[in-house]
Amino acid sequence: MVGRELTFGDKHIQRFLKDNFILVAADDWYQRRRRDAEGEFFRKVANQGPRKGIGGATRQGIYVLTASGILLGYKNNQDPAIMYDYFRKAHQAWRSLPDSEREPNALKVGDSGKPDRAYHRAPPDGGLIVNVYTRILDRDADGTCRVGTCRFPGGQRASQDHLWLTKEDWQSLIPATPRQGETLTIPERLALRIARFHLVDNTRGEPPFWSRGQVRSGGLKITVTKVAKDGIRLRVDGAFLLADGQDADRARRGYDARLLGHIHYDPAKKAITRFDMIALGDHWGEGPFTGGARPGRSPLGVAFELAAGNRPADRVPPQAARDWGEYLAAER
Amino acid sequence: MMLTRVNAAFMPCLLLLYAGSGLAAAEPIAAEKFAAILAVIKPHDGEGKWADLPWLSSLWEARRQAAVEGKPIVLWEMDGHPLGCT
Repeated sequence: MVGRELTFGDKHIQRFLKDNFILVAADDWYQRRRRDAEGEFFRKVANQGPRKGIGGATRQGIYVLTASGILLGYKNNQDPAIMYDYFRKAHQAWRSLPDSEREPNALKVGDSGKPDRAYHRAPPDGGLIVNVYTRILDRDADGTCRVGTCRFPGGQRASQDHLWLTKEDWQSLIPATPRQGETLTIPERLALRIARFHLVDNTRGEPPFWSRGQVRSGGLKITVTKVAKDGIRLRVDGAFLLADGQDADRARRGYDARLLGHIHYDPAKKAITRFDMIALGDHWGEGPFTGGARPGRSPLGVAFELAAGNRPADRVPPQAARDWGEYLAAER
Repeated sequence: MMLTRVNAAFMPCLLLLYAGSGLAAAEPIAAEKFAAILAVIKPHDGEGKWADLPWLSSLWEARRQAAVEGKPIVLWEMDGHPLGCT
């Protein structure tokens, strides 16, 4: 995703976009499939450009459009100079439209109606959103980890995703009557959701997830470390060995990781107020869309932390949530 | 509230599987290194500047705001959500 930094991290482009446009980002996998008002609107716009989705093909790119659905421009390029010029020309096209298209409140946009549940995801009611960051690392002789180096452009950057926990999921982490030193296992459905869908190398593109059978061993347990009036402190420990072959030594792709984390629970708020966890270990191999991996086995780190939940970006679904049923029942 | 006690058979079996795999399991993470490793993995200052823009995640909401404010829309559409995924 190096292109997003080149174009949308450019300060001149940022200023121009902030001043002149409403900005929205979407996953084409959902948008081109959804059979509801939003999906119909998107396809109406995209069909005016080069990406008509013939045979279900991707329609990805950067579109400029009006609220009424007129396509003003389409481009899929990473060069900031080209994209700045593109945005300026699209805005010129906008200024040539009649007032009925451009004046504030000239158009009325009604309710979108019921979303297509097959291709619409929303965070579970009462659930938790956890940010997930993944980064290649290098390890010094004394074991200190630092940002990794690689030949893949932008491959050293942290990738991001979200882990979603249902209310039942996060409640399962908190003992009803906690005692210091008590240990619990994290239910398989959640432990395996973390392992199969979030202990992945997505630093160079869309990663393959682990099948149930590719979880060769592992699990997560919780230890109550402190019980006090102001809250309950929990430590998470665990390990997973993930490999696409039964013999991990010969597997083409794998991740051998340890996990450590800290969870705080506030009984007064009945809420988890801290969810920090890391996975660290050696990863090897690549998937169809994650070519350019470093040779051999090299350190990969995954960090989890509670999301604020108040930004639209926080509500972006986990990448693996395209298969919603499997995401929620990873143990099957 | 659901509570799952340690299944005594679960974790030890898993650790045995490690021993039998012929692959050295990853080293445990030292508690004193936790914060430093977390900080290295998470995005750093200056990284992910694209996220500084006020992105919406609903095209319909973008339509509504664009109509109210009298602005055109930039739609960033990718296979894999641009604000997540990779």
